[in-house]
Amino acid sequence: MKRVARIILTVIIILVVCCLVIRKDNPNTDLTINSSDVKKNPDAIELDLDYPTPKTKTINGIDYLQSQLPVGKFGGEFISSTIGEGPKTFNPFTSTDATSSTMADAMYDGLFTSNPMTGEVIPKLAKNLEIKGNKYIIRLRKGIQWSDGKPITADDVLFTWKDIIFAGLGNTSTRDSMLIDGELPKIRKIDNYTVEFTIKKQFAPFLRMLSAPIAPKHYFTKDKNWAKNFDRFLSTNTNPKTIVSSGAYRLKEYVPAQRVVFERNPNYYLINKKGEKLPYINKIIYLIVGDINNQILKFEANELDEISLKGGDVARYKAKECKSNYVIYNLGADNGTMFLAINLNNRKNKQTGKYYVPLKKQRWFQDVNFRRAIDFAIDRKSMVQNIANGMATPLFTAESPNGIYYNEKIKGHSRDLQKAKELLTSSGFVIKNKKLYDKYGNRVEIDLSTNAGNTEREALGVMIKQDLSDIGIQVNFKPIEFNSLVNKITNSFDWDTIILGLTGSPVEPHNGKNVWNSNGPLHLFNQRSQNDISGVLPYPFEKRINDIFDKASLCLKFNERKKYYDEYQQIVYNEAPIIYLYSPIRIFAIRRKIKNLYPSTLSGLTYNIEELYIEEDKK
Amino acid sequence: MKMWKFIFKRILQTIPLLVIVSLISFFIIRLSPVDPLAELRLNPSISQETLQKEKARLGLDKPIIVQYGLWAKSFIQGDLGVTSAGEKVSVKLAERIPNTLILTLIVIFMTWSVGVPLGILGAIYNKSKLDRILTILSSVGMAIPSFFFAILLLIFAVKSGWFPVGGLTSYNFSDLSLFGKILDISKHLVLPVTVLFTLSLAGLQRQMRANMLDVLDSDYIKFARAKGLSENKIIFKHALRNAINPMITLLGFEFAGLLSGAALTEYVFQYPGLGRLILEAVMKSDINLVMASLMIGSIMLVAGNLLADILLIITDPRVRS
Repeated sequence: MKRVARIILTVIIILVVCCLVIRKDNPNTDLTINSSDVKKNPDAIELDLDYPTPKTKTINGIDYLQSQLPVGKFGGEFISSTIGEGPKTFNPFTSTDATSSTMADAMYDGLFTSNPMTGEVIPKLAKNLEIKGNKYIIRLRKGIQWSDGKPITADDVLFTWKDIIFAGLGNTSTRDSMLIDGELPKIRKIDNYTVEFTIKKQFAPFLRMLSAPIAPKHYFTKDKNWAKNFDRFLSTNTNPKTIVSSGAYRLKEYVPAQRVVFERNPNYYLINKKGEKLPYINKIIYLIVGDINNQILKFEANELDEISLKGGDVARYKAKECKSNYVIYNLGADNGTMFLAINLNNRKNKQTGKYYVPLKKQRWFQDVNFRRAIDFAIDRKSMVQNIANGMATPLFTAESPNGIYYNEKIKGHSRDLQKAKELLTSSGFVIKNKKLYDKYGNRVEIDLSTNAGNTEREALGVMIKQDLSDIGIQVNFKPIEFNSLVNKITNSFDWDTIILGLTGSPVEPHNGKNVWNSNGPLHLFNQRSQNDISGVLPYPFEKRINDIFDKASLCLKFNERKKYYDEYQQIVYNEAPIIYLYSPIRIFAIRRKIKNLYPSTLSGLTYNIEELYIEEDKK
Repeated sequence: MKMWKFIFKRILQTIPLLVIVSLISFFIIRLSPVDPLAELRLNPSISQETLQKEKARLGLDKPIIVQYGLWAKSFIQGDLGVTSAGEKVSVKLAERIPNTLILTLIVIFMTWSVGVPLGILGAIYNKSKLDRILTILSSVGMAIPSFFFAILLLIFAVKSGWFPVGGLTSYNFSDLSLFGKILDISKHLVLPVTVLFTLSLAGLQRQMRANMLDVLDSDYIKFARAKGLSENKIIFKHALRNAINPMITLLGFEFAGLLSGAALTEYVFQYPGLGRLILEAVMKSDINLVMASLMIGSIMLVAGNLLADILLIITDPRVRS
């Protein structure tokens, strides 16, 4: 017995020593770091560095796109990763998830793209654009080819828009957002390299929609029944050698649950200043990893070239940066928004004849003072510090801070309990014994939920519960399973407040119409449904937002359009149906050997992958 | 003849079993509040129309009982259906099964060829130093949770740089020579095999030791010893044959675990096997995929037991009568 005890003791000691040794490597894990420290990285290229967009250059009758960046070295591999199961399809028109879209985007170019710094629409596959009233005449590049050597012509553009997108094949979101007063644009081929779109009336988001990828007609229509089998076309089982693409890279290999390998497209139409065909890097590899922890391990084992860092890891990586072979970039706030939505639903369910939200609670939620009091009682600063480890920026608007339509005039506020209490008193609420009662004497008690398992949102819930208890509101915080949560939001509407996050587009606020239009399918805070007893009018502020979105979509001038979107953000801030909390900050670590990086808040780090090259630093 | 009848009977018995298993699993998955379309519903750029289309494609617009009927019908016809991403389930499974088999077969081969002899040694030298050391080692092996052990090994791989961090092949696998490919796969296999090996070795060694001790303690062995037979003969000819019988039943269970036994370890090591596929499928309620794997699991279990029974008939004359 004694001997067994001695052995167990030894084992325990060994384990403890092991743990200590492992700990010793990262003494800075507890260190919190300010996001501004990361930005002031002496080695990093300034974030505001102007990215010179490629220009058209015609050589021997071929309209190339010429990169304006320094000439680099050919060869090498770039290894990135994707979390989850990997792509579900390589078809850019049927993909609905982020991973599949990333893969499809690498393989197919659109007519236009966004300037990575300013968000302005610039030509890609198109050579130029002429707007004549409601007619958009697009000239294509002459002499450029698909990866199999066939020319890219107006027929392909016509095919893509008419037979795929407007015909409603695959994911119809592009088509749906192209509907202008219920009508789709008309498209016509003028000659082999010119097409013309005719729209019913001016529609600001239209041009940006034209950045949808173009499909090679000869490849997509190989099968006679191609339209019927469209959903299965370019599935992940497709033989990579047969795939015809137009992007800088073409698929080389897909190994399920392990990796996706792209190789350079030798027929790509981008050249460098010396006239050599890009891209520089031979292979782009996406390793498919199951979770963030595995991704970090792989980066540390040098198996990855790039990683997006989360919360606590940033401090640890920052501390080791100068001795390492990577550089850390802070790209600022991303497109994500974390928010607290309040249920303003004021209708009855046709089937049960009852209100979705009990009348007692409706009186609270529909009271703007009550909502603003919550807004003032919430401590965004400590949320950012404690939950996001400083890797976020407080948010007060519906547009994310990196967006080009972000209303900078909304400065927000810090936590102000006095102001919150004043707002509540002005609406007849009373605080007795640190408990809040409404003017009818009801104790104010609300439910708060979010999706269980999301630790960030769960932590937010706990903080909100505490913050609101300071103004006497009793919050019952219950995280529930994601699917049940979605069912509550889209179907049963029996919720009070919810913490959620959505990702918007930083360049096109019109995409937010699904959320902000009072009949939108994701009008979270006052979702309408077929089960409603009709006849209840939208709130005045909802009507005004509907109006703003309609009018803004007709404005072609950026400044005029921005005025509308500024107003909508101001309304959302004043009315607080959705209380925005913060936007996460994106921080990337990437190996030093990757050159020609022009990080952008809008587009990320490796958007110009075809211009990147690899050069090991000489020591 | 008798044996064929027995096998036939057993196969008949499995049919109601499979029906019950499929019914229970189908209804549990469908009645759980997991909505396969939840992600799409919260995506601002997905239209109502697309959602309806997806719903119809996945058959979610029909009552559960009809969904089950449709599934059962195609299953009997040998069609496993499509995953929620539209790929054929059979193709998906076929991609992963070889990977899992490589791992589990190596592990089973190693544990049996090491565990059984160690068990015998432990029994023969009962209460000796060797037995004590083996007991401690196997207790440690049984006590370490596989998940934790796997993570420890991963950290070891990162720190030492000797082994790749998870996966089955390196990114440049397709460019390697045949020898390079074999080396690459072996390198990737070392860590997951270590985890599974340590774990199942311990159990097997204990089991074998206990069986052997039981037998060595029985009257006929005492008689054999009294008769003056050599120790070698007693152990390998008389004791071992009887001690191995329970192990054959165990082998039947190992067979059932061939495809599903390594799920946790696969997940930690990001091993592209069946376990990880199924785990991900369960998370998003990919019904056809989950059902296919559950059915495979039950069939393997039944088949494993049947196999063990047949082997027992062959090795043990007492069962035959």
